[in-house]
Amino acid sequence: MTDALFLALSTLAIWSGWRVFRVDSMVRASFQLMVSFIAVGLIAVLLAAPYIGIATIFMMAVEMMVMALFMVMFMMNPAGLNPMVMVHQHRFSIAAGVVAFSGLSAAVLLSDLPVQRVPEGADVVRDLGHELLGPSMLIFETAGVTLLATMIGAVVLSAHSGRYGASDAGSLPPGLTPGGEPAGRKPDESAGHHHHHGGH
Amino acid sequence: MIAAALTLLLALPPLVWVAAMFDRIGTGRGAVLIGPLQNGAALLLRPNTATEAPDRLNRLLAPGWYLALALVGLSVVPLAPGVVASDISTGLVLWGACEALTVVVVFLHGWSPNAPLPLIGAYRYVAIGLPAMLLSMFVLIGAALPAQSLSVVEVVEAQREIWNVIRQPLGLPLFMALGLAITLRGPFDYADGAELAGGTSAEESGPALALWHFARAAMLVAFSAMAATAFLGGHLGPVLPGPVWLLLKTLVLMALSVAAGRFFARMPPARMLTFLWVVLLPLSFASLALVGVEVLP
Amino acid sequence: MTLVTVLIVAAALIGIGLYGALSQQSFVMLMMGLELMLNGAILAVIGFWSFSLGGAPEGQLLAIIVMAVMAVEMAVGFALVVAVYRKRQADMTESLTSMRH
Repeated sequence: MTDALFLALSTLAIWSGWRVFRVDSMVRASFQLMVSFIAVGLIAVLLAAPYIGIATIFMMAVEMMVMALFMVMFMMNPAGLNPMVMVHQHRFSIAAGVVAFSGLSAAVLLSDLPVQRVPEGADVVRDLGHELLGPSMLIFETAGVTLLATMIGAVVLSAHSGRYGASDAGSLPPGLTPGGEPAGRKPDESAGHHHHHGGH
Repeated sequence: MIAAALTLLLALPPLVWVAAMFDRIGTGRGAVLIGPLQNGAALLLRPNTATEAPDRLNRLLAPGWYLALALVGLSVVPLAPGVVASDISTGLVLWGACEALTVVVVFLHGWSPNAPLPLIGAYRYVAIGLPAMLLSMFVLIGAALPAQSLSVVEVVEAQREIWNVIRQPLGLPLFMALGLAITLRGPFDYADGAELAGGTSAEESGPALALWHFARAAMLVAFSAMAATAFLGGHLGPVLPGPVWLLLKTLVLMALSVAAGRFFARMPPARMLTFLWVVLLPLSFASLALVGVEVLP
Repeated sequence: MTLVTVLIVAAALIGIGLYGALSQQSFVMLMMGLELMLNGAILAVIGFWSFSLGGAPEGQLLAIIVMAVMAVEMAVGFALVVAVYRKRQADMTESLTSMRH
């Protein structure tokens, strides 16, 4: 039973992970990634880690929702009406992926892995809580401070008003051909009235 | 365990009917008692509408996912001492995952028809739904603290002396905000609002719309049962048997949610976003901090 | 379900993620590749914890740290995408040919 579930879930995780880079719409891509995460979370539940597994599902649902939000915001083709292939160095990437997979698999198959299973009936969630706020508190709190620093950094990076004026002042869209005329919005529009404060 | 699951499955349709009746009282939208059944039957006979280049799979599945999430969320609620459909040690986290996935499902429901009004509804709902869900997590951690466990069964047991609603007065009202958000109602109905001609359901008709409304009412039932369990002591109570107490508390909270949805006005999305992040979220932090101080030995 | 099969599934996820991170032109898709690699990492960590650590809680702690790394990666990544989009009106890696303002 567990084996059959594991087989189904791992197939789902790998298949939907692969579909992430094959579907047309980026919204679909982010939800395929979410499916992959949910499958991994359920495998973690099978592996006797109920908190980590369900927390992964919870976190990744939120993260992928944010991802889809950004997709709709930035993409030229959010709904996926047109076929879309946006890749570079494709062969090299495929080779790198295959090498990474086969190298890691070889390492797994050739090494002698220790076996010491989680004891039956161990209260793993309670253990985790005591570890987080006990011996490993410094690590846990460091993660918290890192997240706070990330929040501040993200706000600074993405804010419209910067130390040197509006962050989109004089922004130019890329050309349709390399080095060609800028496409889309012209700089006059994008800079708006901020443009005139410069005193040129 | 199987008995509990069957009880929930049997109890859900009548409770959904009651939820639909609550929604009709005083609105003048036809008969209160049999109106929901008439409407549902009429919807089932109508054809589904088609849109141009939709995401067929997700359009078909979104209402079903919504209902499934309501059922999974409901399954962690203990009906009586020792009677619970899914008895896992991290029930509160599972409920949280259901909340998060509800936001995803509502987005899918609006995105998949590939039409403007549903997409606008879905898009602004996500912006509001995510912070609402975030604050509910802090509130639920507050409910878990006195129990020293993430298991919903333990959360109920910890309320034998005194209910959480008295110990943590901020908890229930903040949790109700989440309930309004995940059931798309009143001040948080940014998804299916009337000003978007039905928002994410603007392009829906027929059985798909009937299932969507059913799932929405089922989510109200699931949320009310969860709120009754986390803050009103769930199945605990004198004289009457446990399941009856749970049912009564669930009905009260359903009525309260419907009333709150009618009473509070909806703000523009940008103002609601500010209100959520600047007022309600800090309030939930404060509530959690107070609970923490209180349970200190 | 043995440790070897769990780790091979994790290796497959890491391989696909590496392919995505290297091949995608859009920043957000590139981040999806990174997330998929971290997904494999979480699976490997939990597999090792479950099969070889005898229930020592440090393994779960490592999984939580990986999740925090994911959150940091997402937040900084999206902030950078917003900054680049403001400057170049595109979210493609090719639009960043120089780091100059």
